[in-house]
Amino acid sequence: MRKELKEYPFDWMLWRAFAAAARLKAGSEKEYRQAVNQIPYFRGALDAIYGIGEPGRLLLEMVAEYFEKIIHAEKRGQKTAITTFCFSPAVFYALDIVPITLEMMTVAMGATYKRGTADFLDYCNEVGFTETSCSSQRGSLGAYLAGNGVTIDMVVCDSPGVCDTNVNAFAFASAYLDKPFFQLNMPPDLIAARSTEYHRADYRALIDFLEEQTGRKLDTAKLRRILEEVVRQDLLMAELEELQILVPNPLPVTFNLLIYAGRFLYAGMPQCTKLLESMLAIGRENAGRNQSGLSSGREKLRGFFCYIDHYGQDFRLWQLLDRMDISYHGNILSKMWSQDAHYVKAFDRQKEGYKIDTTDLDTLIDSISDLNSRMPMIKSIRGPYDAPHMWLQDTLALAKLHKADFIVYNGTPGCRNTWGMVKPFARDTEKNGFPTLILYSDAFDMRVESWETTASRIEEFLKVRRLCS
Amino acid sequence: MMKIFHESSTILFNRHVQNWKTGGGKVVGYTCSYVPDEIFYAAGILPYRLRGVGAREMNIADAYFGPFICSLPKCLLQLASEGKYHFLEGVVVTPGCDSMRRLDDCWRKAGEDITETLPSFFFHYAVPHKTADYSLKWFIEETHLLKCAVEKHFNVTITDAQLHNAIDIYNEGRLLLSRLDALRCATDVAISGADALAVVLASTTMPRKAFNSLLMDLIAQIEANTDRITGRKRLMLVGSANDDVELVRLIEGNEALIVADNLCFGARFYADLVEPEDDPVAALAKRYLFHNDCPRMFGDYKGRLSILKEKIKRAAVDGVILQNIRFCDLHGSENGIFERDLETAGIPCLRIEREYGPLVETGRIRMRIDAFLERLEK
Repeated sequence: MRKELKEYPFDWMLWRAFAAAARLKAGSEKEYRQAVNQIPYFRGALDAIYGIGEPGRLLLEMVAEYFEKIIHAEKRGQKTAITTFCFSPAVFYALDIVPITLEMMTVAMGATYKRGTADFLDYCNEVGFTETSCSSQRGSLGAYLAGNGVTIDMVVCDSPGVCDTNVNAFAFASAYLDKPFFQLNMPPDLIAARSTEYHRADYRALIDFLEEQTGRKLDTAKLRRILEEVVRQDLLMAELEELQILVPNPLPVTFNLLIYAGRFLYAGMPQCTKLLESMLAIGRENAGRNQSGLSSGREKLRGFFCYIDHYGQDFRLWQLLDRMDISYHGNILSKMWSQDAHYVKAFDRQKEGYKIDTTDLDTLIDSISDLNSRMPMIKSIRGPYDAPHMWLQDTLALAKLHKADFIVYNGTPGCRNTWGMVKPFARDTEKNGFPTLILYSDAFDMRVESWETTASRIEEFLKVRRLCS
Repeated sequence: MMKIFHESSTILFNRHVQNWKTGGGKVVGYTCSYVPDEIFYAAGILPYRLRGVGAREMNIADAYFGPFICSLPKCLLQLASEGKYHFLEGVVVTPGCDSMRRLDDCWRKAGEDITETLPSFFFHYAVPHKTADYSLKWFIEETHLLKCAVEKHFNVTITDAQLHNAIDIYNEGRLLLSRLDALRCATDVAISGADALAVVLASTTMPRKAFNSLLMDLIAQIEANTDRITGRKRLMLVGSANDDVELVRLIEGNEALIVADNLCFGARFYADLVEPEDDPVAALAKRYLFHNDCPRMFGDYKGRLSILKEKIKRAAVDGVILQNIRFCDLHGSENGIFERDLETAGIPCLRIEREYGPLVETGRIRMRIDAFLERLEK
């Protein structure tokens, strides 16, 4: 790794960058313009984030605070756990553990710096991790493997049975850094009684592990407060996503990113609630005026991303969609499968959803286990893609409900679980009337395919399929 | 005698399978060493570990799998779609890894497009990725489900007595393979790594009783033979599934000998016995879930490292070859840490990434092996 990258710890640098970004609008517009001229590779993203008003500022403050907690965890006597986006952090907050979600760190770095996470991606390979692994974890894991971040106390993930390359990053980190490891292991079926029993037994073992690592007992009252907050957040998200169904969609394109960023970073915490409330106020206002959330106010197309987004530098995907007047209708990351979610109700799929029961400790643990087993990807990529409750069924239901004009698959070359079947999957979505684009780019590493190439493929697809002129 | 083993290891529809079919027997293929052969043996069915040998192109497989996928399941799908697995009445797919797990989806889809590609019995056998008590409970249930599915589909009854008998016969085979393993690890080696692999591969395609009998003869022959292979560097082969005798032959050349391995078409396949207990299904589930594992059992790196170190010592290995098939991140990444820890312990290692299938990279691999052997000379 280049020497200059070790001048400042990776996570400290991100904290300072986002803390500064969160304060940029505290002064005058002229001061803001002067300041962003100094950060040409983050300017577009900041303009887009601040352009949506208060939720943008709240997001930046929330991310800055998240990094601040990581940096100061040791000083505050808190343990740290590296974990994954598809793991609900609520249980960490209940046990006063500071989660370090690798994918979120990778996105933050990739979106902020021109060089992206290339050096950290490559450092992983230098120490033995395969170059064919998923870039979403590698982009920040490299920094921790190099000792260029805070001390990691434990490694916790929940993707075994769902995504090998995800869990492999965590297993590698545990072995390489010699840190305690815990995995939640998912059966291929979601709702069978024995799957539920397995999820719940596994989750109780997780709590035992976390209690052992922290020396603390799980505080029932705290867990209850957090899960009650999760319920509030789920209702807010449900309403936000319900608004997306309207024609035109009143939500700005970046709102979907904000929904899942809030949830992955602060599920069950007031920071996430505040962000969602702020977003909902804008959504309701636009909906009341029957106005599109796009900058132009004109919705020409409605796009559904069936997997993840493209997080290349400066959040250019969202800029492209907004420029082309394409409203955004969500991806696998923003769907939370609470029983309150509109798509759960619309398709009478309550069995697939989770319900939070705060009666006692047992019901709390069962509830959070059910919630965790329905996190993005964990819910629908575990079994055969065309099995009930899985990816195809979810995608078609959501694309229909949202009246999507097209579907885009974007992931990473390291995504074995979806590249293993995305061709027949796309064939099936096409058969169901949805023009489907498979992108070969890497959502986290623009060296695989430049953003310009990715953008031209999206534009070409829309033209060839006569979706736009 | 080695000719029989080699034939069984290189020809999919070999003479043993042909004879079995001629006698009216049924064959069920499976993808992973976590599938208990004993269930099928007890049902009078020949269990057959699926392999991609003989695949010459990927045009059909590439229509279903994406480009960033291990070539082993692609070869399996290609062969199945070309009708090379016409002799199978059934298939069991496991979530051994994501590439192999998706063989389930792709094979079924290919079956919709190409007639006679999909056998009528097609079972997804959900093997957990950990060994907690509740994982074992799950796996026992899953094994019962597999047993019931076999009984129902093939209209047979599998009794406990038949299962106990199958366990005895497969344990006998494991003990014989372990004896062969001990002969390989000995100071004076009488069998090449290529021949030893052929024997193990044959065990995955032949009726087990016939195999045991042949192997017993081979061991007697080796023990009686005074010829020994000398003057070669002693290597251990570790990593992704390798069912290619030619790869081992390429590595061995004239200067090296693979005296040990920790592969799923190798020591991992036969290392542990099924411990007898009243409930044979529970006994099978325990053996198959807890046996010498592969990195799909996440978080058990130290256990696997300790197995390697013990075997390296026992077989007086000069160097370790850590290989993985491209896109096999589980073995590839673990090989990276093995390399660090074994080199720290003074054990020379060579990491190789390769493609599964026809040896298209012979020159590159040979050159790297030669360089490694030169290092061992010093």
